[in-house]
Amino acid sequence: MDIILGIRVKDSVIVATSKAFTRGISVLKDTDDKTRVLNQYNLLAFTGESGDTTQFADYIQANIQLFTMRENTELNSKAIASFVRQQLATSIRSRTPYQVQVLLGGLHNGSEPFLSLIDYLGTRVDLPYCAHGYAAFYTMSLLDHHYKPDMALDEGLKLLKLCHQELVKRMPIEFKGLYVKVIDKDGIRDIDFS
Amino acid sequence: MSRRYDSRTTIFSPEGRLYQVEYALEAINHAGTAIGVMAKDGVVLAAERKVTSKLLEQDTSAEKMYVLNDKTVCAVAGMTADAGILINSIRYSAQQYLKTYGEDIPIETLVKRICDVKQGYTQHGGLRPFGVSFIFAGHDERYGFQLYTSNPSGNYSGWKATSIGANNTSAQTLLKQDYKDGMTLEEAQNLALKVLSKTTDSNKLTSEKVEFSTIGLDADGKLQLRIWTPEQIEKLLKESGVLTRDEEGEES
Amino acid sequence: MSITEIGKRFTFKTQFEAELEEAAADYQRIQPSLNSLAPSISVPPISQPTAFLRAHTDHDSNPDCKIKMAHGTTTLAFRFQGGIIVAVDSRATAGNWIASQTVKKVIEINPMLLGTMAGTACDCQYWETWLGTQCRLHELRNKERISVCAASKILCNLVYSYKGMGLGMGTMICGYTPKEGPTIYYVDSDGTRLKGDMFCVGSGQTFAYGVLDTNYKWDLSVEDALYLGKRAILAAAHRDAYSGGSINLYHVTENGWVFHGNHDVGPLFWEIKEKEKSFNNVEA
Repeated sequence: MDIILGIRVKDSVIVATSKAFTRGISVLKDTDDKTRVLNQYNLLAFTGESGDTTQFADYIQANIQLFTMRENTELNSKAIASFVRQQLATSIRSRTPYQVQVLLGGLHNGSEPFLSLIDYLGTRVDLPYCAHGYAAFYTMSLLDHHYKPDMALDEGLKLLKLCHQELVKRMPIEFKGLYVKVIDKDGIRDIDFS
Repeated sequence: MSRRYDSRTTIFSPEGRLYQVEYALEAINHAGTAIGVMAKDGVVLAAERKVTSKLLEQDTSAEKMYVLNDKTVCAVAGMTADAGILINSIRYSAQQYLKTYGEDIPIETLVKRICDVKQGYTQHGGLRPFGVSFIFAGHDERYGFQLYTSNPSGNYSGWKATSIGANNTSAQTLLKQDYKDGMTLEEAQNLALKVLSKTTDSNKLTSEKVEFSTIGLDADGKLQLRIWTPEQIEKLLKESGVLTRDEEGEES
Repeated sequence: MSITEIGKRFTFKTQFEAELEEAAADYQRIQPSLNSLAPSISVPPISQPTAFLRAHTDHDSNPDCKIKMAHGTTTLAFRFQGGIIVAVDSRATAGNWIASQTVKKVIEINPMLLGTMAGTACDCQYWETWLGTQCRLHELRNKERISVCAASKILCNLVYSYKGMGLGMGTMICGYTPKEGPTIYYVDSDGTRLKGDMFCVGSGQTFAYGVLDTNYKWDLSVEDALYLGKRAILAAAHRDAYSGGSINLYHVTENGWVFHGNHDVGPLFWEIKEKEKSFNNVEA
């Protein structure tokens, strides 16, 4: 039921995730951040089986950082997407697969906006905009309608606002709002979105 | 005295030396010379093949030059059989990296991986170190064209021009004299051949004694990596004038 | 033909076995065979251990199940100005049967750390005492008390390694360290680990949340906070059939935890009803 959304605009990438952590019929936390910062220009958002999600994201984060320490170089977005996909593809063939869907947003080589969607089976697609779970049903039509590849960041945020309004209006489940993050040439930053 | 300490790779001598590793290094000093020169638009590797007998069938394919992946070649000095094992493992490792990250392995990472294997054999008991040194020439996004050497101890280093194998000290001196920053690939080729011809033990350099490979950019700016055929080397030897100059030198 | 069947066609005796057989001939016949040499491991004869466990222990899906696990609880913990309040009920149920009214659901991991217990009692009890040993080892190794963050992560990683094998626990690790201040982590057997200001766990969680959310303020006095914790558990004990017995109250400060008594729900209910003029659905 978690929402994760990504929009790739002209010089940046927007990633939005819901704040609610729900277990059973209770919302246990309304400030849950479903993202991990991998390095200066790359952000991983995740959803799926609780427990698996954080363990997997931490594992990816640690390995990306380990690579940087060993090789003294930052991995670029496409290499990270490839690595994450490979890990999930290996995992699905193991006895205890990670049931995690992820969305990788970043600037490839610090300049080219990049957005990739990877599911627990190890399917990877690089897309201009995407969403996981139920959020996709409500927002994809909006994004199909309004998205332009050369949108500026503020136009992208306006479009995200439309998506947010629609989700608030039609989703039967309270998701406690969205954390919105932007990745651009200055790195990763939080956007006040209320 | 040293007998007690040189039979095992894992044991230091009282002077703090690992004799087996030093012997391996020494063995390489008798192997055919290999030279690497970096240019602004490419890298050259040249190596001398030692012909052991006239009766030996001259294998026309390269013996000391190996393509490791789409962006790296290496030249070998030392025991070719040992090199085979390392080359096999590094080719596999490079493909695995490509599969995982969707891009070619950076040259330094590749060199480091070979060296990790080599280092392991200087430490684990009952094993002989690899009797090989390599010169690697490659290209990647991060540092462009690169040249590295590695030796049996597992150390590696980056160079503008270098040599391994027999007479490597004199080759190095010659390179130091004649190397200029910003050389073209063609100039680098000539320099490599010139140094090789001066350091060789035999009096004349022929295509069957030389192996040659280059990494450069083609007209479209695409990376071009090739190990030269004997015909191409023959042609190069003639055109470069390295031989004629030598012959003139002898005559005068 | 399976290896077992092939094995049955051959018998094999060592000299020792032959002697043994001779000696034991009067008692019984031993037939050593290759069969008994084949390695084996005891596992439930299905691919998913959880499915096996559920079939035999889940009262809801199979009321005839042979093993009734101790389930059903209300536990809570919240942070406030004066530290942390931890309150729990004490009822253990196995199916519809009340197995005990005097369970200690707060596990005193060490003088600074408390763990609450919801879900399968044995899992919580065993792994939280195990966590105590790990925390002590951390102290000995690092000459420093373990942070709540680290302690909860140890437990989280442990339960995650058993994921899908039938552990069932929902716990809060509560403590106070100089660098963290009063801290609560929620850890459950899915491998979830959340830091937060307030958690209620167990079948009565919704009832406890109701009382806690409406009356909670950060600036609560210690006395009021203790009362709120107690009152929230009482609300759950009243409405949730699987919670009840008595209430155990704890207050965590920078000097460690302090126990604030065991309060029997029976008399407490009437006392609070009288005092608050609440619970008006119940006639006195």
